[in-house]
Formats: sequence, structure tokens, C-alpha cells
Amino acid sequence: MDIVVSVKTNLDLQMIRIKNREPVLEAIPYKTGDLDKNAVEAALQLRDAVGDSKVIALTVAESNRKVRETIKEVLAMGADEAVLIVDPALESTDQAGVARTLAAALQKIGSYDLVLFGEGSSDDYSGQVGPRVAELLGVPQIGYARKITAGGAGVLVERSMDEFIETLEAPLPAVLTVVSEINEPRIPSLMNIMKAGKKPTEEWSLADLGLDPAAVASSCETLSNLAEEQDRKHVMLEGGAVDQAAGLVNALLKEGILGR
Amino acid sequence: MEKVDCIIVGGGLAGLSAAYGLASEGLEVMVVERGDYSGAKNVTGGRLYLSPIRDIYPELWESAPFERPVTRELVTLMGDGASTTLELASDCFATAPYQSYTVLRARLDQWLADQVMEKGGMVITKNRVDEILVEGSKVIGIRAGADDIGADVTIIAEGVLGLLSSKVGLREEPLARDHALGYKEILELPSSVIQDRWHLNEGEGAAHLFMGEVTKGMMGGGFLYTNKDSISLGIVVGMSAMRERKEKIESHTLLDAFKELPQIRPLVEGGTLVEYSAHAIPEGGIAKVPKLFGDGYLMVGDAAGLALNALLTVRGMDFAIASGFYAARAVADAKSRGDCSAAGLAQYEQSLRSSFVLKDLETAKDIPHIMENPRLFTHYPQAVSGLLEKLYTIGPHPSQKLSSTVIGGVRKDFMNARTLKELYAMRKI
Repeated sequence: MDIVVSVKTNLDLQMIRIKNREPVLEAIPYKTGDLDKNAVEAALQLRDAVGDSKVIALTVAESNRKVRETIKEVLAMGADEAVLIVDPALESTDQAGVARTLAAALQKIGSYDLVLFGEGSSDDYSGQVGPRVAELLGVPQIGYARKITAGGAGVLVERSMDEFIETLEAPLPAVLTVVSEINEPRIPSLMNIMKAGKKPTEEWSLADLGLDPAAVASSCETLSNLAEEQDRKHVMLEGGAVDQAAGLVNALLKEGILGR
Repeated sequence: MEKVDCIIVGGGLAGLSAAYGLASEGLEVMVVERGDYSGAKNVTGGRLYLSPIRDIYPELWESAPFERPVTRELVTLMGDGASTTLELASDCFATAPYQSYTVLRARLDQWLADQVMEKGGMVITKNRVDEILVEGSKVIGIRAGADDIGADVTIIAEGVLGLLSSKVGLREEPLARDHALGYKEILELPSSVIQDRWHLNEGEGAAHLFMGEVTKGMMGGGFLYTNKDSISLGIVVGMSAMRERKEKIESHTLLDAFKELPQIRPLVEGGTLVEYSAHAIPEGGIAKVPKLFGDGYLMVGDAAGLALNALLTVRGMDFAIASGFYAARAVADAKSRGDCSAAGLAQYEQSLRSSFVLKDLETAKDIPHIMENPRLFTHYPQAVSGLLEKLYTIGPHPSQKLSSTVIGGVRKDFMNARTLKELYAMRKI
């Protein structure tokens, strides 16, 4: 079984500060998407269960530097090969552009039985890219996957719906998007990280995929990216701890926050 | 046990410098760093002296992400209620090639890690080395989590406390008396404000050290370095001095008080606190430098005690980079001869001895002892400022002749047996 896992590198959101109501994006470390690692783990488990299979990690970015650590990480986890689509034009793409790029890359890869995604990315969490790719490729798609087994007509997938679990069967090839409860992603050993650098890695540009930069240009324009402003009340409570506590309770009562 | 050519324990400047040298030689090198990224765990005052290491990896420094070249040097002797500042604006410091730069280590170290990886070295972050593996007298590799990994040579760049190396007897356990505590805040200020406040031309930087009342007379001092869009403001204080002080004092209150001083408040006004950090600093001098090499291992940087506080100049990063460079050269030679025993690696210590690293530490060998004298941080800053205060004072009574004020002040504060003895002892530094 040939399994392709799509992974995304995003900024480490926890490291972003807000300054003058705008996020400071300079010098923020990159991080591999959390659910993407679940997708990689699912692919590796499936590969090992089925046998005679391989896992290809696929990623899209505007620069090699941005995705280098992510690729190293997923190869160290155990993916067999990596394909990077790197093109400066991808700097200002959107979900539709990424989906077109990934679909073209999958067609160039040629043979794939399963394409795995995280349910959503760790930054935008739009959850669009997986379904869009399935649509572009004309293959079935199953979201919220919490368990994947090879069998039946192709794969059996348990979907995690809030109140119940749905089990679906799909023929191959298929696109699956996974949720975090599917597994606990493995942490690669040091030697596997060392060896990751030696695994086969291909790098393609948009031109290699026969895509025009205009095909990935974003159809959205960011008008404003400002953090919400909140007026503070600047109330200073005087006195000892007991008086301050009483003052705080009174103030909260007055605001209607307590005693509702 | 799987094996690589060289494992480097710690991805700070010393470890990365060694890794860069080894990777450039085509050796298989694995740097293991416990922080989220190189520089994440680092606390440095903020100045790198580039002059001593400019010829080491000359290709690197052109593109290094330094903050500002230091063109203005200031030192303030703080007495109780009066302080004296000396400011040196020297043409030779303001002309390229600049002798020193302010740096932010999170930026500098990550950049150097990138350079190592460009050369094919592997820098593995978020992984902690738990143990240095020793067989007989020979270091054979490391244990990290469930992994045991062997190496022909292990370069120990674990930083100041040397916990892993002291655990296996490669150096002594760290003692408080050989260390200082350094802690600092990074305060963001617009670049134009920094240039205005410190009278700097565009892009230039200032370094300002403080002695005396800033540490309440304890061994140590304050520092202030200007970065591009921030300042690094902090305090270094001897650990023994802190412990032995009768009236106990919490270290962070020193920094709070420092920021509130009338001469500091206007400088930090409006700064946004973006980072607070603290770290131990080696201050033992050459007497505390451990054995630098043995069968299968080398020690570099702070782990080897290679740091020098000479009051007006505080150095460590240049020593770290140089020791990493010489370590890489020694390992590459040892590997090519197939002899990674102590004898095969002995060249490392020889190169450090014939370079500025051990020469400067040797020259400064009496400084740690002189600095143990608390009067250096109490009597002298007070005496200098007190004398100047008298010279500048016009009171209600007729003034003395300038010369009598000077002679009187010098006689009172400097011409007594104790001070003369101390000044005589200082000839050694």
C-alpha cells in the first residue's frame, strides 16, 4: 500500500506576541502541525500492519528552510521518502491554492492508495485542504477518522462524531483526515533523526508540476489583522488582603459578574 | 550500540562552533541540545568580542546576526548617593572592523545551528543527554532517553554547571564560590529612542557596566547593552557574596532597585519587558579550568570554565567559539590518524595554550582573588564619587583650594595602609 501523508509547517503560535495590536511574526520558530503528526503516525501503523507498503511525506511551502525541520521530523518518525513542493509563489497562497498544488503533486507521484491529512492545521484550522484535494482528484474522502483498518473494499474507517461513532468503508484510492484521538505520535530516537537526513527527498517547483503561479494565488485579501482592544478599568484596591478581597467581591458584584 | 564520528553535548556557541568545524571537514556530527532551539536556554549579558576570533571561520562573521557594534564604553562607579560615570567614545571602536558587538543569543545561536546544518551537521534539539557513557577511562558516547549512542569522540559543551561531566568524574562538582548568578531583562525600545538615549549614530551600540551600590556592595555589577530594538539590562552577583551577606536579599530585588535608580530610570523608561532570564556564570578563572581532554572526549566553552570577568571586560563567547574551533581541529586530526585516545587529542590543549584562550586566562589568574575583596565594590566606588562630589560642591563657607581637596580626599581614602596594600596587590591584574 502506498500512503502519502500531507504535513504542514506553521509558526509556533505560542511564541507569537502582540505589539501595537498586531502579531509580531518575526523570528518565530516553526513547528510541525499537531494533527499532521497524528496522520504520520497513522500512516506508519498502517504501513507496518499491511506490509509491503511505503509512506511518502508530502509538504508545500515557500522556502526549503521553512519545512526542513518538519521533513526531518517526519522522516525520523519513520516515513520512507519525502516530496517537497517549494516555490516562492506559495508565500501568498490560500487553501484552494495549496489543494491544487497537492493534487498536482499527487498526480506526479502517480501511485498512491491512501492520502492522509490532519483534520485541520495548527494555525488556521480551516479543515479545507483534505476535502478539496479529494474533490480535485475525484476520489472518496472521509473526515474525523479515529481508526483506520485496511480491509473490506479498501479501508474501514471509524469516524468520531460528537455523540456516536460512524464506521465507513471506502475503495482505494481515498483521502482521509484524522483527529487527535486516533493515536499518540511517536517521538523519534536520536539515531533515527541522524538517519532521516539520508532518506530520499525530492524537491519540486510549481513549474515541475506544470502549475502557473497564478493558479495558486490567493483569492482572499487580508484587510486587517488587528487584535481586539479592550478597555481596562484600572481599579486599584487599597488596604490589607482582607479589605482587598472584600473590595474585589464588591466590585465584581457591582459589575454583575458575581451574584447573577 | 549505533555509532557516529562525533557527538557534541550541548548546542550553544562552543558546541556549534565545534560542530561547524567538524561538519566542514565532512565528519559525521550529532549535536544534542535540550532546548527547543539553540540559544533557547542561554542567558548572556550580551556582548561578543569578535577581534580575538575574527580569523576563526572568517567566512561566517560577515552574515552573522549581530545587534550593534559597541562604539561607546561606559562604566559607572556607584557610591551610596553619588556615582561617577566614565564614558569612552573612541574613534578606533567606531571604525570597522569593530572589536565587539552586542548580541541576542536566541538569534545568534539559531543562525549558527543553521550554518552547521548547511554543512551537513545534525543539530538535534528538544533532546536531553542524560548521561555520558564511560568505559574504564574512556568516554564512549552518550545516553539520551532510551538511546545509547557511541562516538569516536564526545565533545562536552554542556555549559557552566558541568553536571553530566562531574557526575562521571571528568571535572569537579560545581561550587558556589566559583560562580556568579547573572540575570537580566530584555526591554524593547524603538531603535531611534536607543540611539537618542545613548547618543549613538545609526546602528552603533553602547555597553555600560555598573559597580558598587548596584549590587549593594557585593561582588558583581550591573550591565546594560543596547541591541537593535531592545536593551539587555541585568545584574551579575557572586553566589558566595549573596550567601554570606548578613541581611539576606532576594536577587531579583537588586534588578528592580537598579531600574528605579534616578540615573537608570530615564534610560529604561517606556521599555516593554519581553524576556526575563537567569543563569550561572563561571568565575573561577584558570585555576578552575578542568582537565580539557582525555580518552575519547574534549571539553569546550563554559563547561571547561573558559570565561573571564576582568571587571571592565566580560568575556566567554569568544572563548567558547575559539575552543570549539580548536576542538574540531583536534578531533579531525585524531580521526585522520585513527587515534582518539588522550594522546591523540592532546593537540587540543596545546592549541588553547598557544592561543588567546588560555593565555588571557593565565594573564588574568589573580583577578578572581582580587575580586573577592568586597571593598572593591563598596569603598572604592564610594571614595571616587565622594572626592568628585567635594570638588564640585560650592557651599556656604569659603572653598578650599582644589589641590587641598584632592590631597585631603586622596589621603583620607587612598593613602592608608589597608588601601595601599590592596592597590599594591592589584598590580597583578
